[in-house]
Amino acid sequence: MPDRPNQSYLGKVVLVAWREFRHTALTKGFIFGAVAVPVVMFGVITLMPLLVSRESPPLVGTIVVADPEGSVSARAEQVLVTPPSVKEVLDELASAEATPASPAGTAEAIDAASSLSAAPQRIEVTWRVEPSLDAVEAIKRDVREGKILAGAAIPPDALDPANATDGFELFIPSSLSPKHVRQITRALGVALEEERVERSGLDAALLARLKDRPEPRTTRISPEGDEAEENTEARFLVPIAFMFLLWITVFTSANYLLTTTIEEKSNKVMEVLLAAASPLQLLGGKIVGYALVSTVMLVMYGALGVAGLTALAMGDLVPAMHLVYLAIYFVIAYVMVAAMMSAVGSAVSDLREAQSLVGPVMTLLLVPLILWMPITQDPNGMLATITSFIPPASPFVMILRLTAATEPVPMWQVIAATVWGLACAAGLLWLASRIFRVGVLMQGKPPTPRELLKWAFVR
Amino acid sequence: MLMQNTTSSSSSVTAVAPAASAAGAVLLEGVCKRFGKVDAVRGISLSIPERSLCGFLGPNGAGKSTTIRMIMSIIAPDAGRVEVMGSSALAMKDRIGYLPEDRGLYRKMKVGEFVGYMARLKGVHPQGLSRRIDDWLERLELPGVIKRRCEELSKGQQQKIQLLASIIHAPDLLILDEPFSGLDPVNGRLVLELIRSEQARGATIIFSTHQMHTAEALCDKVVLINKGEKVLDATMPELRARYDDRGLVCEPLSAPDDFAALALRSGLAMHARTHENGAVDLDLAAGVAAADAMRAVLELAPMRSLGLRRMNLDDLFVELVSGPESGGSARKGAKIDA
Repeated sequence: MPDRPNQSYLGKVVLVAWREFRHTALTKGFIFGAVAVPVVMFGVITLMPLLVSRESPPLVGTIVVADPEGSVSARAEQVLVTPPSVKEVLDELASAEATPASPAGTAEAIDAASSLSAAPQRIEVTWRVEPSLDAVEAIKRDVREGKILAGAAIPPDALDPANATDGFELFIPSSLSPKHVRQITRALGVALEEERVERSGLDAALLARLKDRPEPRTTRISPEGDEAEENTEARFLVPIAFMFLLWITVFTSANYLLTTTIEEKSNKVMEVLLAAASPLQLLGGKIVGYALVSTVMLVMYGALGVAGLTALAMGDLVPAMHLVYLAIYFVIAYVMVAAMMSAVGSAVSDLREAQSLVGPVMTLLLVPLILWMPITQDPNGMLATITSFIPPASPFVMILRLTAATEPVPMWQVIAATVWGLACAAGLLWLASRIFRVGVLMQGKPPTPRELLKWAFVR
Repeated sequence: MLMQNTTSSSSSVTAVAPAASAAGAVLLEGVCKRFGKVDAVRGISLSIPERSLCGFLGPNGAGKSTTIRMIMSIIAPDAGRVEVMGSSALAMKDRIGYLPEDRGLYRKMKVGEFVGYMARLKGVHPQGLSRRIDDWLERLELPGVIKRRCEELSKGQQQKIQLLASIIHAPDLLILDEPFSGLDPVNGRLVLELIRSEQARGATIIFSTHQMHTAEALCDKVVLINKGEKVLDATMPELRARYDDRGLVCEPLSAPDDFAALALRSGLAMHARTHENGAVDLDLAAGVAAADAMRAVLELAPMRSLGLRRMNLDDLFVELVSGPESGGSARKGAKIDA
């Protein structure tokens, strides 16, 4: 006879947790989704500039311009070798975004954004000027036969400052890449613009300086006198990124918890497990196991975000304190949602039955998704403050408020919301354990929310 | 060997019984359980001695599984006390093996992994566990399935895996809810032998079944539950002493009806029943000893066979559950009164 078996209380929790983690996280599907995808995405983000710069095609050939005035091509030659400014690119991006979504618009945006790359490009273009517009047909023939890179015709009216309504004609072969088309178009367009300005008697450089709208260096000052540099991008993007990260990682694991609990119940394996471990050990093990699953996702995607921002020299958008808050509210949010999902999972026999009970939980979880804009716009307003204390939305709202990069959330509210969140998480966990204990052995029609509460207080 | 021979006399059976310890492996006192408006278990009290093999009998919905779940402390009783090996089942969980009525396993898990997981939960040390699982699979005539997913096995094979998961940790108390249901005769016999070997190892075994002949062949003690109440709780020798009624089963070479009439006229029997197979049941008259009656019957007519009528668990079950009027199959037949 073997030694008398004896497994410690925590030992059983750990065993259950490891099984749940192993059979969820160490599967091909999960490894691909939660580990491989972030790694590949990180690799793409990191390597993209390198790949783009290496693959940037040279611009080589002859451009023939039918330019009776003879002034545009000289300017265009200069503009072509000068990279566009950031402002110029952003303006182009804005105009691309302003147009209705279309593949062309998207391509333009990508093309404009790629202009920001500091990757060197070989530009060896010979400009030839044809003094008469009669040369247009010859230019078009040369383009068709591939003898020249591109051709253009500048009508004299296009240079008239008093009547500059006409544009110019551009002739390109079908093989010319969109990037090269943009470069040539920009060179000729800017040259025309400068020529018009000069012909009107103005100083083009002076005009450019005068038209350059100044950007303020904004500092936010709180009533307590705290000063923080305003960062518009951070203000909009960082809170929603943090909240989504928290929401997705918590909800994905809680959903696993719901489905596996239902599966164990419908497979009748639950009673076998209850013969080996108490309901509390089972529930504890399951919650810990899926917490690990959730943590893997949080770390992988969080690291991807931080690494991506660092690679784009925007690491300062995520201060270390934000990560500490993320960890704290992740624990609170996960325990709350996991407790509710495990209680629901234990009470029903299939996913269809679970829908009616999960509905109210989901409604509360959708609050931060629906209200993220007003909350980040006014992180210390009435709406934000009240929703900070409504579980299970509270941790999601708090992470939105704390990362909103505007005036700091009052410390008393941070402490109160955290303590309240922990208390709610503990309360929900207790309630879930009571429901779980009864629910896992129940068969038949699913309980009403009222019956669920009754189970919690059954001896 | 604790198993009793069902054909042995009462005295020889009684001699086997002391092998079971007087100390209770399971003790129930006034245990009640109610689900909504239904009284599933009503004040059941019983004691199951250590190393005994106890059969839980009863019709469907009688409360057997609920009682077993309370013994396992999977559900708590509304009233009463449950004690397992001198403590609560929660504290003794690792020393109990349990095969529930609703069989369950992780369909995607490999057999070895599943059994290993259950063994680890029951506190079996991982060292040598794989070897132990292999040995058991051989013994259960399931070689080579250790790396197969549970869902790939047949229903009977899955059932044997579930049984293995309940005994892999060599429990002191083994509770089997309907262990024979769904098994073919070959596997049924294999499980029967396994139960016997577990008892021989020293385990106390409780099993519920509807197969009365199996219970009769295996059990030291029988508990019959009907409508949530215990209606019978006795060792097999006690049962025989209590329910072996004074009667003879005769198979005369002559016409059964003539023999029955002759037996009644002779004053040996007060009732006689004839059966289609030619047998005649005689209920002996008061004051007539069974041995004297047998001698007298042989003088009345030549016999193909003659024997004492024995208690039949199947009939007893039907009688206790449905009432005495229903009678058992052994008592059915044309009745002739004296």
